[in-house]
Amino acid sequence: MKVEATLHGDRKVYSVSAFNRGVGSWLARLPTLWIEGEVTELRRQEGWQSVFFTLKDLEDGSCLPVSMPRTTFDALRLDVADGDKVHVFGRPELYEARGVFQLRGLSLEPLGLGAALARIERLKRALAAEGLFAAERKRHLPLLPRRIALLTGNEAAAKRDFLTAVTARFPAARVVVAETLVQGPKAAGAIVSALEALAREPEVDVVVVARGGGSFEDLLPFSDERVVRAVAACSVPVVSAVGHEQDTPLCDLAADARASTPTSAARLVVPDERSLRGELDRLHGALGRDTRRILERSRHALAADGQRLTRAPSLLLERKRSRVDGLAGRLRALSPRATLERGYAIVRTDAGIVRSAKAVTPGAQVDVELAEGGLGARVEETWE
Amino acid sequence: MSEQLSFEQARAELERIVAELESGRADLEEAVKLWERGEELYRLCVGKLDAAEGKIEELGRRAEAVKPDA
Repeated sequence: MKVEATLHGDRKVYSVSAFNRGVGSWLARLPTLWIEGEVTELRRQEGWQSVFFTLKDLEDGSCLPVSMPRTTFDALRLDVADGDKVHVFGRPELYEARGVFQLRGLSLEPLGLGAALARIERLKRALAAEGLFAAERKRHLPLLPRRIALLTGNEAAAKRDFLTAVTARFPAARVVVAETLVQGPKAAGAIVSALEALAREPEVDVVVVARGGGSFEDLLPFSDERVVRAVAACSVPVVSAVGHEQDTPLCDLAADARASTPTSAARLVVPDERSLRGELDRLHGALGRDTRRILERSRHALAADGQRLTRAPSLLLERKRSRVDGLAGRLRALSPRATLERGYAIVRTDAGIVRSAKAVTPGAQVDVELAEGGLGARVEETWE
Repeated sequence: MSEQLSFEQARAELERIVAELESGRADLEEAVKLWERGEELYRLCVGKLDAAEGKIEELGRRAEAVKPDA
C-alpha cells in the first residue's frame, strides 16, 4: 500500500492515519507465531467482537496486548483466567485507530496442553489396538436395572439432572450414589476405587459416570489409563456421561454406552414406566386374545366333528340301503319274470323245462308258464 | 417356574409366547400351556414394577435413604 506524504518545503510530512496504516501494513508482513506468557487483565464481554488480555512475560514481566475474536476464544472452551500460562498463536498488528501495537490472537493453548493431548492420543491408539474400545466388547444395558449406581463429583448439577430425569421416567428407580473427587491429580485413583465399590454393591446392574462440562484439564482424569481400564473391566455395564458432546474423554470410548448429558444418561438406564406398563398391557391383551382365538378355533373344529358324528349313522344306513337297492335291481334283472314279461314262455313237462324239441313227442302234455298265468297244452308236432 | 428371571428375560419370553400364539401354530393344549405361562410372566413383570420402591442412597452414608420425590 502506498502511503502518501505531503511536502512542507523539503520536509515530507505524513498524516497520523497514513503513518499508522503504513506501519500496520508493514507489521502485517511479519509471520504468525507462538508466544508464551501469562494471561493478565482478561476482558471479555458478550457484546464485544473481541476478547482482550495482556500477555505478560514469564521472566521479566514485559507486556503484550492481545486481542482475539470472541467466537474463536469461546470455541476453545478453555476457561482461561488471569494467571494462566498459555501459548498464543498470532500475528503482530497495529490497532490503527489508536496507534497501539498488539498481537492478533488466532489460537490459544494452556501451557502443557499440547503435551497432554499428544499423550492422550498415544494412549488412545494403544488401547484401541488392544481392542478395549471394540464394538463387540460393548454390553447391552439392562432394560430394568434393579439398582443404578451413579458416580459423580460433588457438583450438584450433574447429580440433580440425572436423579430428576431418572425419577421422572421411573419413579421407583433405586439409585446408589457415590460422590468422589473428579478433578486434580488424585481424581483418577478416587474414580477407580469408587467405580469398584459401586460395582460390588448388591443388585447394581449398571453404573453411570456423570461429570458436567469442564475445561480440558478438568476432564483429564477421565482419560487416565487407570480410569479407562477400570471402566472397560467393570463387572456391570457402564454409561459414560462426561463433559459435553464434543469432548471425548477416553472413558467414553471404553464405556458400554455414551451419553452427552446426565439427563440423556438417565434415558438410557431406566425405561419410561408408563410406556413400559402400556407395552406390558398390550402384550397381556394379545396373550388373552390369541389364546381365545385358538380356543375358538378348536371349539369350531369340535362342533364340526360333532355334527359329522351325529350325521354318520343315517349316512351309513343310506349307503347300505342304496347298496341293497342295487342288489335288488341286479337280482330282478336276473329273474325269469323279466324275460317272461318280454313275451317269452317257459315250457315244462314232468321231466322239467323243455329246452329241445327232442325232449317231447307229439301228443305229450306240457305246461306253458307265461308272464301272467299259464296254460296246459298238447304237442301237435315237433321239428328240429 | 424359576423366579430368578430378570424383568427383561420375563418380558422377552412373554413377547415370544404372544408371537407364537399369534402365529396360530399352537394346538389347543399347547395354547393353554402358553397362555398360563404368559399370564405368569405378565404377573411377574407387573409385580416387579409394583414391588420396586424408589430409593436413593449415598454410598458410605447408607442411613440416608429417601424417596426420590421427597
